[in-house]
Amino acid sequence: MVGLIGRLWNLPYKSIVKEASGKTLAVTKFFCVLHITNTYLCTFALAYGPSMIPTFNLTGDMFLAERLSIKFGKVGPGDIVLLRSPESPRKVMVKRLLGLESHSVTYVVDPMNSDRCDTIVVPKGHVWVEGDNIYNSRDSRQFGPVPYSLLEGRVFCKIWPPKEFGSLMKSGMKDPDL
Amino acid sequence: MLPTLNLTGDVVLAEHVSHRIGKVGRGDLVLVRSPVDPRRILTKRVVGMEGDTVCFYVDPMYSQTTVVPKGHVWIQGDNTYASSDSRHFGPLPYGLIQGKVFFRVWPPDGFGTLEQ
Repeated sequence: MVGLIGRLWNLPYKSIVKEASGKTLAVTKFFCVLHITNTYLCTFALAYGPSMIPTFNLTGDMFLAERLSIKFGKVGPGDIVLLRSPESPRKVMVKRLLGLESHSVTYVVDPMNSDRCDTIVVPKGHVWVEGDNIYNSRDSRQFGPVPYSLLEGRVFCKIWPPKEFGSLMKSGMKDPDL
Repeated sequence: MLPTLNLTGDVVLAEHVSHRIGKVGRGDLVLVRSPVDPRRILTKRVVGMEGDTVCFYVDPMYSQTTVVPKGHVWIQGDNTYASSDSRHFGPLPYGLIQGKVFFRVWPPDGFGTLEQ
């Protein structure tokens, strides 16, 4: 008992505290860099759901999305984008951008039941997004054009599953006969 | 936003936590990104949350009632005669809210919390 107290008394507390705070600082710095990178440069995300078949699978593909293009206004039609859902503010969805402001977009209103097409001019400050799988996708055809500020990132590379690793093709205009 | 905020510019403090945890409600002053110009941030008051029925004057004779859809808010400026807000561009998605204003720093005689 006395030996334990003696040992406790003689510990080099100064250097322990110094080392601990040094390591904590390093870890904090690492998380800060990670947070900044995640928020302003590049993030990775997992997408699940049927709305982007065949580009993304039903059960979840992981991909990298970068945030700089959105901030500098360098996204264009054909890009896959991450956007905050206008209906559920906590959800982030992945869709393909089809039209910027003042573009005229033609879309199939209800592909399961009819072939009727509608054309709309995207208002100022908004974008039109659609899923690749128009038969099962909740997108601008249901909730209308989305304000540009809801865009969060542009997807540029798929990283999981490994056999589908690689950059994603930028699709051209969608086939209107689909 | 007269009379709450001055014409020539007030400096206010806004916090970024409330809108992430869903604590933005009716009567709050919020910073929102303009749906018409993505580079601008506006300061307006939240008048209606999702599901509320909002009644507003389109012109002095004619008033209109709308229900705020899911995931959206209805914002209006305090100076209804000279404000471009939800009466013009419709309900705003909640995701466009950037922060909640809670304190005024400048001018010094307006220092203090802002009325809700």
